[in-house]
Amino acid sequence: MQEVALKGFGEVVKTVTLRIRRYDPESGEPPKYVEYKVPVQMGMTVLDGILYVKEHLDHTVSARYSCRMGICGSCGMIINGRERLACQTQILELGKDLVKIDPMGNYGTVKDLVPDLTKLFRNHESVKPYVIRDEEEPKGEYLQTPEQRESYAMFTDCIMCGLCLSACPTNATDELYLGPQALAQAFRYISDNRDLGLNERLNVLDSKHGVWRCHFSGACSDVCPKGVDPALGIQLLRQLLTSNVFVKFEQKGAPKGPDRKSVTGVS
Amino acid sequence: MKESQIMLIQYLTGVLILVLGALHFLAISALAPTKDKVLYHYGTTGVHNLTNGTLYYYNVKKIYTSLAWGSVFELLLTFLVFHIFNGFRIILSEQFPGGRSEKIITYAMLIAALVVFVWGTRTIVLMLYGGGV
Amino acid sequence: MTIENKKGWISWFNPFKYGTDRWMYSLHRLTGIALGLYLIAHVWETSNILNGPITWNKIMVDLDYPFGQHFGPLILSLILIAAAYHALNGIRLTIVENGLMLPRPYRPEYPYKAKSTRGLNDVLKIVLGILMIITAAIGIIYIYTGVIV
Repeated sequence: MQEVALKGFGEVVKTVTLRIRRYDPESGEPPKYVEYKVPVQMGMTVLDGILYVKEHLDHTVSARYSCRMGICGSCGMIINGRERLACQTQILELGKDLVKIDPMGNYGTVKDLVPDLTKLFRNHESVKPYVIRDEEEPKGEYLQTPEQRESYAMFTDCIMCGLCLSACPTNATDELYLGPQALAQAFRYISDNRDLGLNERLNVLDSKHGVWRCHFSGACSDVCPKGVDPALGIQLLRQLLTSNVFVKFEQKGAPKGPDRKSVTGVS
Repeated sequence: MKESQIMLIQYLTGVLILVLGALHFLAISALAPTKDKVLYHYGTTGVHNLTNGTLYYYNVKKIYTSLAWGSVFELLLTFLVFHIFNGFRIILSEQFPGGRSEKIITYAMLIAALVVFVWGTRTIVLMLYGGGV
Repeated sequence: MTIENKKGWISWFNPFKYGTDRWMYSLHRLTGIALGLYLIAHVWETSNILNGPITWNKIMVDLDYPFGQHFGPLILSLILIAAAYHALNGIRLTIVENGLMLPRPYRPEYPYKAKSTRGLNDVLKIVLGILMIITAAIGIIYIYTGVIV
């Protein structure tokens, strides 16, 4: 097998200072910034930099991370003033000798770079993020064409990193606001043709801190590491709600396919 | 009222304000009942000359005493008061979320809106019925 | 113990590092607040017409010259620019916030540039931006010279 030679790969290109906001919950002292000098190689991400600090300079630096490849959505933080996934941001691409790392805003901070994501999951739960049907026990599959799936497929890419809530200016003050993540997920289920739950979700969405507190600043879509475009979901949801004021929106529900028994012979 | 209905009125009043606001600018400029259409006069002494120009007292009074302009102003005032104080309510309730503080904000904005509305209406109605000197 | 890390209202007016929509959001909010306060002052100011020409003239002069000769037209020009911006951006928001002129759901592709803040939304911004400049220019020329273009 021929090895691909990457020019300069593995060499230390330069030394970059990571300025990390530290908060120690045990001492209870207010957060402060601590600087660490990190030798940077080509392709090194901010998360790699934090792990370097953890291994060589200060073992007490805390951050959430898991997959290191932008799938799990654990390592969201504010890097140089903008919400990014630390594992998808290369230090050299930032082009700065000083990288300022803050925990995500608008959440509580548990320790150092670890945010308290309770709000995100509570909001997500409140919009009932599952397919709601009127029958108690599904007997068979619900039919869906590829086009019908396309109509919400992009919103299923959400990895719940919570960057959008940190970027959202409404969330900056209004902790009761559902936030882009939950609203985009609400749209994902409402526009799913198998779902019948619009009216059940309406009292949460059409509330004082629901969909109308979005002012389309587009920051959520801007920082989304998966291109989910939550702002688009919210505006389309809003279109649904405004039309619902004039004409009651009716969800028909997907037709049922053949039930399991008639296809496989077993129930 | 439901939030969706309030916000629909917010959008609607916004569009209407644009139309009526344009008329309001015409009232003090192009259609002003004066030949001298200047808002601000700067004499050699630098003193605001208010014996002619659009903002001359009797010119402004002429606009107010016309029923058509009076109705335009009254409508504009109604829509503006709703749009502005609903906007303030939104901004404030985003700053101070919570059941109790929002109730206070809503009622405070309602009272402030009424005060401004009544004050503006008073000017328009009294001018229509021969107010001013 | 977990501590609060809210960005607070100051971040409403911190549009850096995000897209154009984020800038327009900050400006919309700022101009909205300014115009709202202006209306309250304006209602009071115009109510003085009931008190006759002497009071009216005094109010006009006092409001125009608190900080020197050009304060009146300057503040009026600023209000005009703010009104033109708030009105035209408001039209854009009325359109896009109700889901019109936005793309339908699409497949996100790397590097994941959001389409809702681009495309037709950008076209709207440019058109309304040009309209705003024209409106503001006409208004300011009128305020300073009395010439109606």
